[in-house]
Amino acid sequence: MIRNLLCMTAPVRDGFEIPCHEIGPSSHHPAAALVGGLHGDEINGIFILSRLADFLNSVEAGKYPELKLRKRVLIIPAVNVLGVNLRTRTWPFDKTDINRMFPGSTISETTQRIAYAVLEATKRADYRIDIHTASTDFEEIPQVRLYDPSDQERKSAALFGLPAVMERSLSPVFTTTLMYSWKVWPGQSFMLRVGQGGTVQLDHCQRVFRSLVSFLGRTGVLEGVQIAAEDEEVCFFDKPSGFRVFAEKAGTFVSDRQVGRWVRAGQELGYIYDSFGGNVIEKVVSPVAGLLTGIRRHPLLFEGDLVLRVNRKG
Amino acid sequence: MSVLPTIQTETFFTIEMPYCERMEIRRTVITGGNGPRVAVVAGIHGDELEGLYVCHCLTVWLQELLQKNPAGLLGSVELYPAVNTLGLDTLTRGLPVFDTDLNRAFPGSGSGPLPKRLADAVMHALAGADLVVDIHASNIYLREIPQVRINQEFEELLVPIARRMNLDMIWLHGASTVLETTVAHSLNSSGTPCLVVEMGVGMRITPDYCQQLVTGLLATWQQMGLLAPDLVLPETSHTALIADDSNVHYLNAQTSGMFVTTASHWTDVHRGQLLGTIVSPFSAEVLSEVRSPVDGILFTLREYPLVYEGSLMARVMARKGGRS
Repeated sequence: MIRNLLCMTAPVRDGFEIPCHEIGPSSHHPAAALVGGLHGDEINGIFILSRLADFLNSVEAGKYPELKLRKRVLIIPAVNVLGVNLRTRTWPFDKTDINRMFPGSTISETTQRIAYAVLEATKRADYRIDIHTASTDFEEIPQVRLYDPSDQERKSAALFGLPAVMERSLSPVFTTTLMYSWKVWPGQSFMLRVGQGGTVQLDHCQRVFRSLVSFLGRTGVLEGVQIAAEDEEVCFFDKPSGFRVFAEKAGTFVSDRQVGRWVRAGQELGYIYDSFGGNVIEKVVSPVAGLLTGIRRHPLLFEGDLVLRVNRKG
Repeated sequence: MSVLPTIQTETFFTIEMPYCERMEIRRTVITGGNGPRVAVVAGIHGDELEGLYVCHCLTVWLQELLQKNPAGLLGSVELYPAVNTLGLDTLTRGLPVFDTDLNRAFPGSGSGPLPKRLADAVMHALAGADLVVDIHASNIYLREIPQVRINQEFEELLVPIARRMNLDMIWLHGASTVLETTVAHSLNSSGTPCLVVEMGVGMRITPDYCQQLVTGLLATWQQMGLLAPDLVLPETSHTALIADDSNVHYLNAQTSGMFVTTASHWTDVHRGQLLGTIVSPFSAEVLSEVRSPVDGILFTLREYPLVYEGSLMARVMARKGGRS
């Protein structure tokens, strides 16, 4: 079933709506709520969730007789609908970040009203998942992000079967996000970060799609899922395990390395060229042996830009 | 030891950009004696210009002082008119390329990407000043009367200073975790007093407001001992009213359309008075009437006419003790 979370007017066009999928048996609240596109340029998540909705609707329609949706699932592929259409991260009218507007309000700014509607629809779910990408300049390994998690969340994070679970502490800015607002409610909350903004990375999307189906299977929301043996282990990384490399010099960064590969200490992972002279001015090497969990994709670097991150296995 | 009075513009932060250029952030330092050290910061948001003009007006006044009566400057004044240089150069509120609100990057760090480094450089440059004033100019949507905004955490120290600033309102707001990332909170937390001034509107200057603030700054600096006590300064004439969460009323749009004001900014309004209407550009229809909920002062008024449902159109400050 498709439902509009919110219908609002607009100044010089038809009103706009934020539609969601509600799939599975009726209940007072969904067992799982999945949210994407709080930022309009994070297309991996939007693609993954729209595909997941199609899959679960097919399950409901009986196309996969071995599968049965036992509990209700709510899917919002994109919250920032106008941002998706106009290819902007923020709400296009006033350039505000919807994920800095939580918990929101019914009487305040437009983006706070949007935030409130999203929180109301999702906060009572047993499992809440917010999908993001890195910026359009950087690529992240598909990962579960936990912020000051409970022991139960830490345990459940492994159920996604994604290669990395990254734990982070709360920052002041984080207090205005959907994840933070969820945390005051019973249930478990997870952020998935998948690849790079501004594009669809099919490998990443397929992997995360499978991980979401596995998660729904392992948590009893979707019955009959055959859980494939993982092709690699899940690594838990806390913040100190991450070694970030910043550009010593400005220039043009080039690398053909892929995230998710294990690298050696001292291994060359890319080069910074003088953008005018064309000569190599810096070799970028891994500071430690570990998993390449993030790498710069936009080639133009300011001095000090983050180039890559390697996480050392604990 | 006496110090020769000087006015000097210098670069205090520089970083290499990808192709051939360096970004440089400059300040102007006016040095008189060894007395108090004050600073004015502006242009953290690239669409806010009022503070840049205040810095200009201050250099005009101080330059004349140094020419006519150099002994009148007993300390030093640092002006940082364009902290977000790239944003100001490109009519961008945030930091271009990084898509970051610079005033959510404090206190910053000495290494890493530009926003954090720049914030760190600003913090180091301002640390230890006797008073910092960070000037903001709302945004392109809303016009504000000249006011100081103070986090209640620092009320005791800052309100007495703010009262001397010749502004019309002191707005005390509750602590907000996200505001801990501003330059003002970071400075106040580390022992450097910092006042936040909001006035005018984005992408414009309001010379009267700027002169009003200049007058207040000079009066404050004289009281601090930066300017000689016998200097004759422009007279202050404004007394600030106190606002807080209990007497500020927000008017958000009930529907989308074009907001047309019928009341003037910074005037007394009465409960039920029509402040504006939201009309349709496609029809003769008036979609919504916007009326004041209280007797008070219309201190915020929308400049940019188009509104989405929820857009802020006005704020009214009820006079303390008045009918609401």
